[in-house]
Amino acid sequence: MKFIARQAALTAIFVAALYGMLLAITFIVQPDPPRDGRIDLWTAGRTIYLTLPKYAFLGRDALDVPEPKILLLGASNTGVGFRQTQLQALVPCAKVSNLAIGSANITELRQMIDLVHDVQSDAARRSDTFVFGLWFGMFVDTALRWPDPDRQLGDTDLDIERYRYGFYRRGKDGPVAVLPPSWLRVGVMLIRPYLLFEKVTRDVTEGLRRALYTHTPERTDAQREAHVETAAEKADALQYWRRSMGNAKTISADQVALLRDMIGGLLQSGNKVVLVDLPIPKWLGDASQYQPGYVAAMQGLVDHFAGRPGFADLTMPDLTASEDFSDEVHPKPHVARVWVARLAETLNSALCPAQPPHGAAGTGRNADRFRQSIPMNKEFHDG
Amino acid sequence: MNLVSPAFFGFVAVTIIAYHAFVSVPWRRIVLMVANGVFIASYLDKVTEVLPLFGFLALGYGGLHIVRLRRGGATLALVILTIVAAYVFLKRFSFLHGVAELPFPYLIIGLSYILFRIIQVIVDAGSADPAEAILMSDIGPLAFFRYTCNFLCFVSGPIQRYQDFAAMDGIDISPLSDEVVYKAFSRVVAGYVKFVVLAASANYVYIHLSTQLIGSQAFEMASAGLPRFCAMNVLCAASYTIYLYFNFSGYMDIVIGIGLLLGQVLPENFDRPFAARSFLEFWQRWHMTLSNWFKLYLFNPLLMQLMTWFPAPGLSQYIGIVAFFVTFLVMGVWHGTTVVFVVYGLLMGAGASVNKVWQLACAKRLGKKRYRLVSQTTAYIYFARGLTVGYFALALTCLWVPDPPQFFALAARLGLPGEVASLLLLSLGFAAASFAVDTVRALVARRKYSLRALSTGLFTRNFTLALRILAIMAINSLFNKAPDFVYKAF
Repeated sequence: MKFIARQAALTAIFVAALYGMLLAITFIVQPDPPRDGRIDLWTAGRTIYLTLPKYAFLGRDALDVPEPKILLLGASNTGVGFRQTQLQALVPCAKVSNLAIGSANITELRQMIDLVHDVQSDAARRSDTFVFGLWFGMFVDTALRWPDPDRQLGDTDLDIERYRYGFYRRGKDGPVAVLPPSWLRVGVMLIRPYLLFEKVTRDVTEGLRRALYTHTPERTDAQREAHVETAAEKADALQYWRRSMGNAKTISADQVALLRDMIGGLLQSGNKVVLVDLPIPKWLGDASQYQPGYVAAMQGLVDHFAGRPGFADLTMPDLTASEDFSDEVHPKPHVARVWVARLAETLNSALCPAQPPHGAAGTGRNADRFRQSIPMNKEFHDG
Repeated sequence: MNLVSPAFFGFVAVTIIAYHAFVSVPWRRIVLMVANGVFIASYLDKVTEVLPLFGFLALGYGGLHIVRLRRGGATLALVILTIVAAYVFLKRFSFLHGVAELPFPYLIIGLSYILFRIIQVIVDAGSADPAEAILMSDIGPLAFFRYTCNFLCFVSGPIQRYQDFAAMDGIDISPLSDEVVYKAFSRVVAGYVKFVVLAASANYVYIHLSTQLIGSQAFEMASAGLPRFCAMNVLCAASYTIYLYFNFSGYMDIVIGIGLLLGQVLPENFDRPFAARSFLEFWQRWHMTLSNWFKLYLFNPLLMQLMTWFPAPGLSQYIGIVAFFVTFLVMGVWHGTTVVFVVYGLLMGAGASVNKVWQLACAKRLGKKRYRLVSQTTAYIYFARGLTVGYFALALTCLWVPDPPQFFALAARLGLPGEVASLLLLSLGFAAASFAVDTVRALVARRKYSLRALSTGLFTRNFTLALRILAIMAINSLFNKAPDFVYKAF
């Protein structure tokens, strides 16, 4: 046994020494992103986290600040449509974070909120305003959204990050935290060599992964502005979204119910919620079998929460022209600025009443109630 | 218990510490027995799931007693048939669906390998060799459990003969020293490099390609022409073959290394299979303990029996071909429970028998000496290697497309031209890769200073060991799902 103990000790010492050296190198090569109570997941590529879900999971403790915060939740059209820097410039009285993750469904939004709450103090939680950017493509059950064979069925992108470094383990009733959320920062510091390794590996193998995934190349803003969707692209997009919705007949009732519970719970806790019905091109709305169910569900939600303090909704029905979009869901950059202005208008009316309007107001029916809820958070403004 | 889970590492550490806590043989046997029980229990959600396995073990042990008490070919055949029938029933072969099956979920992992071990002890117990018969007659129920359910070999071998197991059952046949322990650590780490780094990377490629070929994104290939479809098929087959090899041989390195720390010397299961120059040689290098088992317990008895029935000397060569075909057919069918595995068995049988026919025909036409000379030319060697691995890789399609409708749809889409083109491309690819690897090896061997000399120092060897461990940990974190052992499904 002494031989085994000696070799085990030698191996442990060498591993620890090497790991320590690598850890020190990571701080020189890739410093942490600034921690000022804001996160823009869409800058993940420039950070050590590299991917949006990883940045969300590992960097979320930056949101543990008591100042008013606006947390944008949604899928890629929320990420692209409400650029954090643009919205922050128009809503100066709160810290804006864009927590939208590409391909997210409602379950993943719920997970994002839970993960943020896990690392926030009570004071930080109470000053959260959640903006939900929604469209029909988000109302799909997790197993249908991600049927990939290289993940455990039912795992969202956030789940994968939970398990990847052992911060969570699989329990019978879902993920179980191995590392207490209060230790997140220490845990993230310790895994920095992994993060840097992954970043380098991803950069090196980008060509191979593009070939395997048959991804279309990234487009610049100028290309997005110039693009006009062809008839063939529209047909492909319809087919793509049918597959992405798991070929279901309509949107998932479970996801609608989950959203309703989520909003109810947040309002109950004193948070503010803005429900944004994101525009999609009219041709897609007319042709998709999912849009009628989505419209009805959104109407039901707005009716249900109408009049509740802290709730507001925003729709932009005048922005559904085909030429406003660079594909079937994402607004062109100049249109995104209009989206941002309208959301800023809604948010400022409640959070920053002194701010002048920046654009045409949305058609949400609950802006007044949203304003009325300000006293609920008075203590934070004062404090 | 997943090989990369903290639970597995903890389990192994506790087992090793407990095993070495006392030198007493009974203590060590108790430790191994408990370890086997814990390992099996890790696969269970309910206690009832293990009952069929215990029933199967009881049947095997009862069969062993019957053969010991009533010697004779008929008894032996009846006992083996009963055990094989029980195995087929428990394994839920597709032709039994809806006819006869237990109405609750249960553990079938490891069942195939338990079958091999049970048949081995029963056949040897009925053997004419008195030494073997006596050894087998001494097996108590606990020793039977330790042998058939040895946690190191439980999931997928190596298939150890009882004679070898008994010699090291709680007894250190390989006493520990600094060298042995380093060798064991190094072997385990090498196994993880194969399992986590190489196999998982190949699997990553395979998964994404196969999704486009036969999976949820197959629509993208629907309109592709035959050349593109064929190329995709070749890439899938090649990446799956590489994945299977590194996954399986990595697993073997891990259990053989852990075995060394428990004083057990387990048999090797792989010997550079891609260097094989013929299909028959390939099976002497790939899953060697399975091939040896089939040779000892199917091929040899079958050959003897056929030669008894057809004693004419001129027929012996053809009888050998038939025996090869049957052996490889059964070995192929054993891999799964659907009709696709019958196809796999037929392909294995055809490969072995055509290989034998080729050898006989060449020797007859060229003469043995000239045939030997021709088969040692560079062109022949790489052509033979490429064709061997290419054929095997193409046959492995049965393992990655086990669903019959999907398998036959893929075969129909390829057609004969597609299959032949795939075989040629795979053969050329493997031949070229083999040539490149050999060339690099030869260049390295020509260098005056070998890096191997550096690896003997305490610092260097522990430094490289630590580097490999960090590489394993880092690459494991790249994948969305922990790598699993592919052969546990068979």
